[in-house]
Amino acid sequence: MIASPPPPARLMTSDERRRWLISLWRYSVPGLISVAMVVLMLAPLPLPLPAMPNLALMAVLAWAMLQPGLMPLWLAFGVGLVADLLFGQPMGVNATLFAVATASLRLFDAMLLERSHVLDWLAVALLLLACSLATGPLMALAGQPVPVLPLLWQVLTSMIIWPLLLRLCVAVQRWLSRTAPRWSYG
Amino acid sequence: MVSGAVIAGGLILLLVARVNPETGAGLRTLAGDLVTPFWSVVRAPFDGAARVGAQVGNYFGAVSRTEALEAELDKANQRLRATRTQARELAVLKRLMAVREPSRRVIATVRIAAATSGSAVRSAMLAAGSRDGIGRDLPVIGADGLIGRTIEAGAASARVLLLTDAQSRVPVMIQRTGQAGLAAGRGQPTLLLIDRIGPDLPLLAGDRIVTSGDGGVFPPGVPVGVVVDARADAPVIRLAANPLGAGFVTVEQAWLPIPDDAPKGPVFDAPVPVEARSRGAPPPRLRPADPAAPLPPVPTRPPAKAAP
Repeated sequence: MIASPPPPARLMTSDERRRWLISLWRYSVPGLISVAMVVLMLAPLPLPLPAMPNLALMAVLAWAMLQPGLMPLWLAFGVGLVADLLFGQPMGVNATLFAVATASLRLFDAMLLERSHVLDWLAVALLLLACSLATGPLMALAGQPVPVLPLLWQVLTSMIIWPLLLRLCVAVQRWLSRTAPRWSYG
Repeated sequence: MVSGAVIAGGLILLLVARVNPETGAGLRTLAGDLVTPFWSVVRAPFDGAARVGAQVGNYFGAVSRTEALEAELDKANQRLRATRTQARELAVLKRLMAVREPSRRVIATVRIAAATSGSAVRSAMLAAGSRDGIGRDLPVIGADGLIGRTIEAGAASARVLLLTDAQSRVPVMIQRTGQAGLAAGRGQPTLLLIDRIGPDLPLLAGDRIVTSGDGGVFPPGVPVGVVVDARADAPVIRLAANPLGAGFVTVEQAWLPIPDDAPKGPVFDAPVPVEARSRGAPPPRLRPADPAAPLPPVPTRPPAKAAP
């Protein structure tokens, strides 16, 4: 729970209303963290290969697991659009991929009977692999064909980073729920 | 339902980008303007730390390195004496033949602020843009060799297409034989030498590849790399400069002015329907190729036929 539901409007005091309005930023945390990860991926590291982990997609997937309500499909689409703009790719490549990946994760979640970190890890690895392979056809559709095989390095590094990233998102969520405003009414 | 609409929207965006690759160029440059200042500030302390580390490292093995360098300097001085004579001869010959050469001019020296090492497109961003005189299609050159060319410029940021990107093609020359060709990126740390012109001269591993100056963007003679695999169908080139390792890069003026791609020749001003023309409307006016020139005067009506 990133923010506790406020008391009914008629019960709210003006102080509570103020506190509730101030606490609304909490709902934007998943989107903001995902966009921050896009910016982080632009770090000018002297990597000869596209080996920078796909932090943006992983952040979107992590929040789609932790807070499905706060990472709707259109928000994943928006994060992907920001990634397209910043990576200089044709608009829509990452946007489509992020949205499709989030939708597939929903399907996975609905189908799986038991949940574990290893299963999540596998699902994310599969999605990352599928996304990097699908980059080629999508870029070709947008008129800029690229070789996709170098992107497999990115899948590898992303799989290694995933537990760390998930732990970061979990820590953020726990901190948010610890500091969420409490209401006493009723 | 909503998800289908969102995904369909993405595919539509892709199709729009296929039809008009300039879609969202303004948004892209705006995003670059917002993000590059951030990274150019964040990377400054790391660069400082790296410089301190390099200075400390210089003290190890200083004596042996100095001896090696002095030996190399002696050899270089010998070569320099010979080269000076040749340079004078060359200058005399060029003057005799009245050779005119455009000169290279540096527009800006900047640091690479951000890079897309996590994407299918290999590009970098500079923390300088049209405010500093940087535009499209300018060569970007590092200390060790060619880095790429600019493809977009915002107010305070510019995007550089690195040599290694799959879309990048650089007109190059093999320094030993003078054969021209193209260095093509493929998303990997090496380039391919393709489309060599002329007879199939055998290459040697270690052949230097420099830019040829064809195409008018890159100045001639900038090191691109060294042939490492000469036997392959398309020889493999190892880069002279790691595109992202370079701390500072220079953006230069394009070597030769980029040809004007505006349509040449007269352009029809407006279509005149056949029916109107058959009733005696004036023929369409022709617009001159130069848009600034005034339109030609309205032609006079053809003489009306006498009514039967």
